[in-house]
Amino acid sequence: MARPVVEKKYSFTERIYLYEIVKGLGLTWKHFVKNFTASLKRGPHTVPTCWQYPEDRREISPIFRGEHLLLLDEQGREKCVGCGMCARACPAKCITVKRGKVAEGEESRYAGKTYCEEFQIDLLRCIFCGFCEEACPKGAIALGKGYELARYTPGECQLTKEKMLANYRREKELGILKPPRKPVPVAGAAKEAAAKAKGADEGKAKD
Amino acid sequence: MSRQLDAQAGHGTGDFVTINIGPSHPAMHGTLRVVALTDGETIVEADPEIGYLHRGVEKLAENLTYHQFIPITDRLNYCSAITNNVAYEMAVEKLMGIEIPDKAKVIRSIMMELARISDHIVCVGILGVDLGAFTPFFYLFIQREELYEIFEWYNGARLTNTFGRIGGVEADLPEDFEERWRRLVPNLRKAIDETDKLLTHNRIWMDRTIGVTAFSAEDALNWGFTGPCLRACGVKRDLRKDEPYYLYDQLSFEVPVGKHGDVFDRYMVRMIEMEESIKLVDQLLKIYKEFGPDDPLMAKVPKVLKGPEGEVYAAIESPNGELGFYVKGDGSDKPYRVKIRPPCYMVYQAFPELVKGEMVADLIACLSSLNIIAGELDR
Amino acid sequence: MNDWVIALIKVVFIWTWTLIIATIMTWVERRGSAMIQDRLGPNRAGPFGLFQPLADGIKLFTKEDIIPEKAHKILFNLGPILFALPAFSAYAVVPFGDKIVIGGKEILLQVADVNVGFLYIVAVGSMAVYGIVVGGWGSNNKYSILGGLRSTAQLISYEVPWGIVLLTTVMVYGTFSLREISLAQQGTFLGFLPNWGIFKQPLGFILFIVTAYAEANRVPFDLPEAESEIVAGYHTEYGSMRLGLYLFGEYVNMYTLAALMVTLFFGAWHLPYVDMSKFLSPFAYGIASFLVFFAKVAFFLWLFVWVRWTVPRFRYDQVMGLGWKALIPLALANLFITALVVQLTV
Repeated sequence: MARPVVEKKYSFTERIYLYEIVKGLGLTWKHFVKNFTASLKRGPHTVPTCWQYPEDRREISPIFRGEHLLLLDEQGREKCVGCGMCARACPAKCITVKRGKVAEGEESRYAGKTYCEEFQIDLLRCIFCGFCEEACPKGAIALGKGYELARYTPGECQLTKEKMLANYRREKELGILKPPRKPVPVAGAAKEAAAKAKGADEGKAKD
Repeated sequence: MSRQLDAQAGHGTGDFVTINIGPSHPAMHGTLRVVALTDGETIVEADPEIGYLHRGVEKLAENLTYHQFIPITDRLNYCSAITNNVAYEMAVEKLMGIEIPDKAKVIRSIMMELARISDHIVCVGILGVDLGAFTPFFYLFIQREELYEIFEWYNGARLTNTFGRIGGVEADLPEDFEERWRRLVPNLRKAIDETDKLLTHNRIWMDRTIGVTAFSAEDALNWGFTGPCLRACGVKRDLRKDEPYYLYDQLSFEVPVGKHGDVFDRYMVRMIEMEESIKLVDQLLKIYKEFGPDDPLMAKVPKVLKGPEGEVYAAIESPNGELGFYVKGDGSDKPYRVKIRPPCYMVYQAFPELVKGEMVADLIACLSSLNIIAGELDR
Repeated sequence: MNDWVIALIKVVFIWTWTLIIATIMTWVERRGSAMIQDRLGPNRAGPFGLFQPLADGIKLFTKEDIIPEKAHKILFNLGPILFALPAFSAYAVVPFGDKIVIGGKEILLQVADVNVGFLYIVAVGSMAVYGIVVGGWGSNNKYSILGGLRSTAQLISYEVPWGIVLLTTVMVYGTFSLREISLAQQGTFLGFLPNWGIFKQPLGFILFIVTAYAEANRVPFDLPEAESEIVAGYHTEYGSMRLGLYLFGEYVNMYTLAALMVTLFFGAWHLPYVDMSKFLSPFAYGIASFLVFFAKVAFFLWLFVWVRWTVPRFRYDQVMGLGWKALIPLALANLFITALVVQLTV
């Protein structure tokens, strides 16, 4: 294997080392002065990269994919019907859903005829891809803004229904709930819409 | 070879010393390991060992539906997750004969070019760090942070984007996308420029990179090099130009080509490609603006994707080179087999040849300039 | 007896002073690098993070002291001591000010005004390499040995041009005593320039600063501890206060070299065009000379940090090449020209 012979052709300023080094020093000096004056200012976020984390947090995207929420509808009823679509869509297989029939007298708590008796997400397995959110026909699950996922025990990493509802309430209070997903325009949309309407009718008929 | 090296290790029988570099070493990207037989500081033989980050990605694909495999592809080349996603989706779409809408093509191209910039930022920055120049790394990484913010506002994730769905993309570009991009471009250009000023003409840098691990074009082709490493050797091959996919045949961009295939050329190719990608995004944004907000983003695909029997291979120009996915369907909703052709793997094969006769410090420089990503290499 | 007490006080003073400076330098290094790199750096411990070195010190002292099982116990323990001792003792002959009058007694601001101060510095400075080699060898680690070997080769090759440059300055001033060299730099040179060494020996200064960086193992000559290549070089296996001694030694070395630079080339405690001793009281003059001297040293200390975060690192053979093929011929040429000029003018 012939290794190519590389001729080094340096210009004079390159050859003497110091010229370029001094230029580089000038550049870093400019940065130093800029940041030094900035750091003297009071305030949390003076230098562009540095967020003083626990006190000072960067703004995160409104559609951030973090810790899960279980959504309630306007009347405060659980949207989830326990169909298990999310569990089926999950690539990491971290969702366990147990479906239950809504008992009589409890209709005010649940939006559907059925509900999830048990809803558990294993945060140790979850990869936060957001597929559960997309798969949910009722828009009942969403990935929230929680990104501080460190826990002391593996047990705490099991996200139960109560925890997810609590997440939802907290985010609603803070007003950082994710805007509802915009439907993605699909090619041949008109036909699709008709089919959807028909599908919805059928769904109703079934119920 | 490794057995031979192991036999010599630790006994001090020869004049050579075996140095084990990695898998946990400050300069090893991820978990690479190189067992180097050295004569003083000169490398007599280098034996790369791979597999420390093997997660069985290809086998995983056989047990997941076509759709579910998309997030797994994020974890291949984690520096530019989006290109992996798109490459896989392209292969599946080819298998199923899905033609994605034009708007989705534009969005995918835009995001891929952004991912290319972020990948090159990592590579150039780390190359600097490995050669002792720490500062450019930060100048570049601040801008990468902004790029990640663009990704985050697009679909909520920064690193493992899970971008796109089979048949299109999952969302339109956010409204403030262009504003963010316009705000980023001058800073990005400045960061690249500053890196250039600090490194390119500095003689210390030139001495460390020019002529180091030079490789001839012929050898590079024989070893299966692709991407910047091949272009640095002087072969003008870029899948975006040679086998254009999406809208790349309508765009004008330059393919930078090196001469000697040494560390310096690889570095320069990456630097220029970043500039070219910025121009490409600008052009693509112009095309993007011609679409209305209600133009389709997804092709019509069934809810449950079933791949027909057959096999396809689709490749794109990922930041590291030709990233190909070979997908074989058997009529079920899961692929029968997925084979990934990562660019790193082919490049890394030539690593012993590349570093033979160079010094230990050059081994590190070479490794960073090849941009070996363990996630992609070991799969 | 009184002289002994004064000498002891001076020793203790300069010892604590260099230690404090070395400690603060770790903070300057981190904050300075952060500012250069658009970051903030440590800013939690105390105001502006000034207590960070203190916290680091406590951490280093209280950490578990690990000696690798297969290390050579004696050499492993000896390494850091051999490295730190010369670093601390080299400063003895370098002045840190002119003189101060306390209670009618004139005290020189220098631990020992030895008439062979130069030789002392060269001799003691070369000792540091033993600390590195012994530590590297004793660790029983290939990276450490590589670091030790690199360091030996580097220090030995750069000591030659360094020594030649020192010799050149000796020629210019005609003395080996650092105090006398300092005193000789008062006044003006050629009528308008301060009478500083740098104007008499511009090439000498450049050579000196380059070799000084190599002697101090600082970027771009930090091959012995090149993090990305050989992990941490000779102190790979060291932890707790043993590592602390290596790090401290490095900063103390820097301080000594910076002080030497100021003494030889930047007029020691003299301000340009102004003679402080004429209008200041003897006591105030002592303080002022110390402060001026330190301000100059501080600039060079900062330069060490500044350069470190600007340039990449050399490769081993390139360092050797630069040392033997460029610096030594240049230093010799400089020596020759100086000798010629000195011969013709005197």
